[in-house]
Amino acid sequence: MTRYLSTLGAAVLASGIAWAPAGAAPIAHREVLPNGIVLLVAERPAVPIVAVRVYMRAGSIYDPPDQAGLANLTGAVLTRGTAKRTGPELDSAIEFVGASLQAGASRDGLSVSLTAQKKDMTLGLDLLSEVVLTPAFPEVEVTRKVAEIQAAIKRSEEDPNTVAARALSRLIFQGHPYGLPIEGTRETVGRLTRDGVVKFYRERARPDATIVAVVGAVTVDEARREVMARLGSWARPTTPAPSAPTATSAGASREETIKRELSQATIMFGRQAIGQTDPEYFPLSVASYVLGGGSASRLYTRVREESGLAYSVYSWVSPWRHGASFAVSAQTRTVEVPKVVGMIREELARMAREPVADRELALAKQYLIGSFPLRLDTSGKVADFLVAIEERGVGLDYADRYKERIGKVTAADVQRVAAKFFPPQSFDLVIVGDAK
Amino acid sequence: MRVAIPALLLFSLLIPSGAPAQNRVVAATLDNGLRVLLLEDARSPIVSFQVWYRVGSRDEHRGATGIAHFLEHLMFKGTPTHGARQFARLVEENGGQDNAFTSQDVTSYYVNIAADKVDLVIDLEADRMQNLLLDAKEIGSEREVVIEERRTRTEDDPGGFLGEEVSSIAFKAHPYGAPIIGWMEDIKRITPEEIRAFYKTYYVPNNALVVAVGAFKANELLEKIKRRFGRIPRGKVPPPMLAVEPPQNGERRVTVTKQAQLPIVYLAWHVPNQKSDDAAALELLSTILAGGRASRLYRDLVYQRQLALEAGGDYSYFSIDPNLFWFWATPMPGQTPEKLEAELIAHMERLKTEPVTDEELARAKNQMEAAFVYQEDSIHQRASMLARFELIGGFALKESFVAKIRAVTAADLTRVARTWFGPDKKSVGVLLPKS
Repeated sequence: MTRYLSTLGAAVLASGIAWAPAGAAPIAHREVLPNGIVLLVAERPAVPIVAVRVYMRAGSIYDPPDQAGLANLTGAVLTRGTAKRTGPELDSAIEFVGASLQAGASRDGLSVSLTAQKKDMTLGLDLLSEVVLTPAFPEVEVTRKVAEIQAAIKRSEEDPNTVAARALSRLIFQGHPYGLPIEGTRETVGRLTRDGVVKFYRERARPDATIVAVVGAVTVDEARREVMARLGSWARPTTPAPSAPTATSAGASREETIKRELSQATIMFGRQAIGQTDPEYFPLSVASYVLGGGSASRLYTRVREESGLAYSVYSWVSPWRHGASFAVSAQTRTVEVPKVVGMIREELARMAREPVADRELALAKQYLIGSFPLRLDTSGKVADFLVAIEERGVGLDYADRYKERIGKVTAADVQRVAAKFFPPQSFDLVIVGDAK
Repeated sequence: MRVAIPALLLFSLLIPSGAPAQNRVVAATLDNGLRVLLLEDARSPIVSFQVWYRVGSRDEHRGATGIAHFLEHLMFKGTPTHGARQFARLVEENGGQDNAFTSQDVTSYYVNIAADKVDLVIDLEADRMQNLLLDAKEIGSEREVVIEERRTRTEDDPGGFLGEEVSSIAFKAHPYGAPIIGWMEDIKRITPEEIRAFYKTYYVPNNALVVAVGAFKANELLEKIKRRFGRIPRGKVPPPMLAVEPPQNGERRVTVTKQAQLPIVYLAWHVPNQKSDDAAALELLSTILAGGRASRLYRDLVYQRQLALEAGGDYSYFSIDPNLFWFWATPMPGQTPEKLEAELIAHMERLKTEPVTDEELARAKNQMEAAFVYQEDSIHQRASMLARFELIGGFALKESFVAKIRAVTAADLTRVARTWFGPDKKSVGVLLPKS
C-alpha cells in the first residue's frame, strides 16, 4: 500500500513489463504482415471495447544531438492534422463517439493509441491510419506545439521529481541519447522546425519498424482484416532500418545538487543496469524488490516505517531497448538529507555484504510472480504489454519464463547481482532542494 | 496509499460505469449493519476486495483536521493477531496489491489479489476493523511520515497549495474547507487518544461497506464474509455532521506567492450535489467545458488562442454534501492570471446567454456514456463505482445515471449556468511565482 504514484511510480509500472498471464494459452496471436508490421492480437470479448497501439521505433533515441525533443514534437503534432482533416476536426470526430486517439514519444518509440467502443472501431481505425500514414504536420501546428512544449518544460522546473530524474538521466547516460530529456530543452525545442519533423517522420516511421497491438472485443481474423485494409499498403522502404547506439557505461560517478526553495529535498541515486534479455535481470529484479520495491522492503521499513523520515522511498529497474537503469529515490525534510543518504548507502552495501533472509526472498519472489495478472487487468494494459515484449524481443512466452526465472532466484544470486550493481560508490546522486 | 487524494484529483475519477445486464449484484446487510455488495466477474482469476468507511475529512473538527487520513495510515500498523506492519507483508507474500485513500467523505481500503487468496483478505480486513493496535510509538513515527506527505503534496506543490487556500475561503462553516491531509499544526498536535476515539466511533460495521468484484461465487463469498465480519459487534451510530454552508454573500479572493515557474488561477463556485435535479446538467457542463481536446476551454484557451498551458473545470457529482465546481488555468508565459480569470468567467457568461450546440451536447453525452463502458474493463473500477453509488444512496442509482445524463437539454445547461454561477458567489485563488 501507500504507493505514491508520481512520475517515478509511473516508471515502476512501466517496468511492469515483467508480468503476463502464464501457463494457459499464449497471451496473443502474432504474425508479420507482408510489409513488415508485427501484428499482435489478444481477444478479450467480455467488454465491448478495443484498445489499439501503433508503436513505431522512432523515439527520442533517434533525435539528432542538437535537436533534442524532435521525436517528442513529432508525436505531439502527429494528431494535429492529416491530408484530409485538421487537428480540431480529428478531435471532434474521435471525441464525438467518446473515443480517444493520442500520440506521443518515449525514449525508444513513437506511439499512437486508440481506445474506442467496439461499435466505433471502424471510425477509430480510419482516423488512426490517417494519422499514421498521412500526417500533414501543418506549420502553424508545429509553431503552436513548440510554444506549448517550451512552456511545459518551464513549468516542469517546479516539480522536484522531474528535475531530479532529468538530471540523473543526464549523469547516468552521459554521452548517450538516453541522457537527453525526451522533451528536449527550451533551447533545443526552439530550434526545431517543420522540415525537421517531416524528415524525422519520413525516415523513422516505417512498417518494418512498427508493432500494432489490437486488444479487446475483436477476433484475430477481424483485427488482421481491419489492419491490413488500412496499413497493408504502407510501403516498406528498401533501405535498412536505422540502428541506435547501445548505452555504454559512463565514467566515474558524480553528485549534483540543484537548489530549490522547498521544504523537502528529493534524493535520487542511479546507475546503469541491465534489461530483460540479460539472465541477471531476474535476480536484479528480486534484489531491487527486497531493497526498495514495496511496503515491506528494507528501505521502506527503515526510512519510512521505523524512522518516519520519508513518505516516499523506492528503488526500481527501468529497462529500455538500448540500455537500462537502476535507481533509488526518497523525499525527506531538508535537515535529514545526510541521514537518509547514509541509510540508502548502507542498505545498498548490506545487500552485497550479507545474503537476504529466507522470508524476504520468498516475499519478493511471491509478489513478483503472483501479482502479474493484476498488472494486466484491462485491454489497454494488455496492449501496452504486448508492445513491450515485442519491442524488447523477449517472446510471447516471456511471462512463463519470467515466472520460472524468478522462481529459481536464490539468496546467493541476489547477493551476486548486488555485489555487481549495488556498490554505493558506483551510483550517481542528485539532490534537489534547499541545501543549507 | 495512505494518501489523501486532493479534491481536484478525485473529481476526475468519478465518471460512473454501467454493468452489462447479465451482471447481478448480490447485496446484503449483516445483522451488525455491515453492508455488502458482491459482483461475480470471472474474466481473470482475481478479485478486488474493498472496504469503504463512511468517514472522511468531512467528519473532522477544527483543531483536529487530518485525523481521518492519519488513521488511514495507521490502519496498516497492525493488530494483536497480525503484528506491526504485517498487513503489507502478508498481502505481498500472496502476490496481492493493496492501498487506501481518504477523501472528504470516505476512507477506502482495497486489496487486488488472486481469487484463491480472498480468505486472507477477509481475515485481515475484519481484524483491523475491530482490533487496531494504535500504539503510541507507531503513531509518533507515522506522524512524521504524514508530515512528509503534506510537504510533498501541499507545501512544495504550487497547485496543491493554492487549492487548499481556495477551499479554505470558499467554506466558512462546512468542514470541506479544511484540507483532507489536515493543517500542519493539527497533524503535529493530534493525540493518540483522539485517534483511538475516532477509530472507535467511525470504524464500526454499521458505518462500513464491503464491495468485491471478481472470480468468486457470490453466495459462497457472502457466507465467508458473514462468518468473519459477522462477529464484530454493531457500534453506536456515528454522530451526524450537522454543519450547513451558508449562502455566499460576495466574491472571496486569495493571492499567494510561492516558488513556481508559472502562475495558476482557480475559480470555485458553490453548487449542489447529486441530490439536486441540476446535478446531471452540472456533470455535462463540466464535460462540455473541459472533457477532451474538443471541449471549450481546451479548444479556445489552450489551442486556438494559446493563452493557457492548461485549462479545465470539474464537478463532484458524488459529494455527500454540496461542494464546489472548480475551474483552473495555467497562463502561458507572457500571459497574466488576470487575463485567464477574465477568460474563464467569459466562458461561464457565454453559457448563460447562448445555448450549447447540438453537437456539443451530443458529444458530451457520448463521452460520458463511453467512459461508463470503459470502466467495465477493470474489476477494481467496477467495485469502486458500485461503492460510489451505494454511498450516495444505493448502488442501483448506477443504472439510472446514464438516463439522467441523456435527458439533459441545452436549456437545462443555460438554466444551471444562470442559477449557480453568479459573480458574487465565487471564490478566486491566484498563485504568483516568487520572483
